[in-house]
Amino acid sequence: MTMDRRTVLGLGGMLAAGVVLAPGMRLIAAPNDRTDASEKHRWAMLIDVNKCNPECTSCTQACRKENNVPLVGDPQRDIHWIRKVELHNKEGYGPDRSLPVMCNHCEHPPCVHVCPTQASFVRKDGIVLVDMHRCIGCRYCMIACPYKARSLVYSKPLVPPDANPRVPIRAKGVVEKCTFCVHRIDDGGEPACVEACRKEGEGGMLFGDLNDPKSEISIRVRQVQTTVIRADLGLKPRVRYQGI
Amino acid sequence: MLSEFSAINGRSWGYWRLVALCAFLFAVGMGAFLAIEIFGHGITGMNNQVVWGMPHVFAISLLVMASGALNLGSMSTVFASIQFKQFTRFSAFLAIVLLAGGLTVLLLDLGRPERLLLPMLYMNFRSMFTWNVFLYSGFFVLCLLYLWSMFEYKQFTKVVGSAAFAWRVILTTGTGSIFGVVQARDVFHSAITGPMFVAVSLTSGTALSTIILVGTYRRTGRFMDERLVFGLRNALIFFTLLVGYLFVVEKFTKFYSPAFYNVEVWLFTGPWAWLYWFGVWGCCVVFPLMILFSGRMGNTVGGVLAASSLTVLGAFAFVGHVLLAGQSFPFDMFPGYQLSSVFMDGQDAVYSPALVEFLLGFGGIALSALLFLLGIKFFRLLPAKAVVPEGWDLPWSP
Repeated sequence: MTMDRRTVLGLGGMLAAGVVLAPGMRLIAAPNDRTDASEKHRWAMLIDVNKCNPECTSCTQACRKENNVPLVGDPQRDIHWIRKVELHNKEGYGPDRSLPVMCNHCEHPPCVHVCPTQASFVRKDGIVLVDMHRCIGCRYCMIACPYKARSLVYSKPLVPPDANPRVPIRAKGVVEKCTFCVHRIDDGGEPACVEACRKEGEGGMLFGDLNDPKSEISIRVRQVQTTVIRADLGLKPRVRYQGI
Repeated sequence: MLSEFSAINGRSWGYWRLVALCAFLFAVGMGAFLAIEIFGHGITGMNNQVVWGMPHVFAISLLVMASGALNLGSMSTVFASIQFKQFTRFSAFLAIVLLAGGLTVLLLDLGRPERLLLPMLYMNFRSMFTWNVFLYSGFFVLCLLYLWSMFEYKQFTKVVGSAAFAWRVILTTGTGSIFGVVQARDVFHSAITGPMFVAVSLTSGTALSTIILVGTYRRTGRFMDERLVFGLRNALIFFTLLVGYLFVVEKFTKFYSPAFYNVEVWLFTGPWAWLYWFGVWGCCVVFPLMILFSGRMGNTVGGVLAASSLTVLGAFAFVGHVLLAGQSFPFDMFPGYQLSSVFMDGQDAVYSPALVEFLLGFGGIALSALLFLLGIKFFRLLPAKAVVPEGWDLPWSP
């Protein structure tokens, strides 16, 4: 069979039109089991910077162990779900500060807004997660996140010998970040960093449900002055800081 | 005029050597993709600070030029510049092949390219990427229909050509808005980022079309009236002035606000200042205008080609600067504080592109070139002789 050039062009046009139109025929929303969680809860974290010792890294170490996050040995490509940031006032006012920074689980998360596949999504309880099976590794979320809270897995991941079986081993080429230790929360627990801070640090991290007016975190945010990082962006982060 | 359209002979040793070279470069690009696929992005120069590297620079530059390549078609179909009507087929086809090259690089640079269909299945209409999926594929369809109408159904050419023109403006605004909408990045968060991309597409598309047209006509021994080149030069002058105007307005607006002093001073004097001054201002605006306005060089085809080459280089520099400087400027999470951490907070990001990134990028260019070379051999895309219509002459010269 031979085709003249006009037929080739016509078929090409129809094929391209099909490619454009086909997706519109099948708009699939994120399945409920990904976003389902109780709307009754609104999980949040409060970090008292006054209690954060610059020498202490118990939160970051606990996170690595709990979530199987290895250091790959390349500072530019290491994965950090949580890191300690040191602050020095440029004008010389006030003491230097040290505090942990992680995904802020924003109410209006820019990472979720820009994700083309809905791989980044917000659960009903406000936790922002990444569906590793849906992430295509476009990295737009990393561009959009103002907290630098996300990392791309740059090479075949190392599996720690004592890997936590409750947290899946990451895949190469996808983006990941802090989950607030969602597996622990769903079991009624708290994030590993918070637990480690209480046990090994000075208890500067507090986790709880803002929808519960009797929870410690709700009481604290009502009683003391707290702030969020980049409040000007209007993202309504759920990680609040006290003492900065 | 249409009866004069003819495919090139394409039997010469030089033609096939060029085809073979492009095929080889494309194959090398695919090899680079496979290497990244197997070993991960760890073999590139990208890192957790600069997550979009040279492949994105190549891809987005090609996409910007794809939109700009339609200039000749739009000028003829929408704005009735009859002297360019003979190039409308070429224009639409060039847009298609550049789009194919750019999208190929963009998709092959994904962390998980095998999941390519997922954006089609799980759409997020708040994402500029999702919009761009529709914008790119829609542009592809419209260009094909435009081309088809020119071959077969001329009565639809005006409608389809006008639709393609509107679409390309939206498309390039969408491409620029991938960056413009990102509030977190001080360098490129701006309502004017989209229009700047549109303006750069106008210059780079016109410049690239000029280079390819002159090159094709010279290499195939066909006649091309020089006044057509100078007509394109005039268009390039106005488009370049538009680019310069938007650059000035953007800087003026930002420098008016003390909140942007840090980032703007950093752009002018920081690690990417060389790209800003030499690439963005020099190649995008100043050098081409100096050549084109020069009475001696601006009125020679060689001068126009030199200015066009600089303009194309400037488009790469502009996109590179938006991407690389935009990602390198450290986040100011705590205004008034100096930050430091193991995750490079408070530091300028460091990025040294790796060879595989260039190979992948050049692979995309090679694919576009290959498709173009095959296209002009198998389709009647260009007139055998490019002459000016009767009664038409250059309205002005610098």
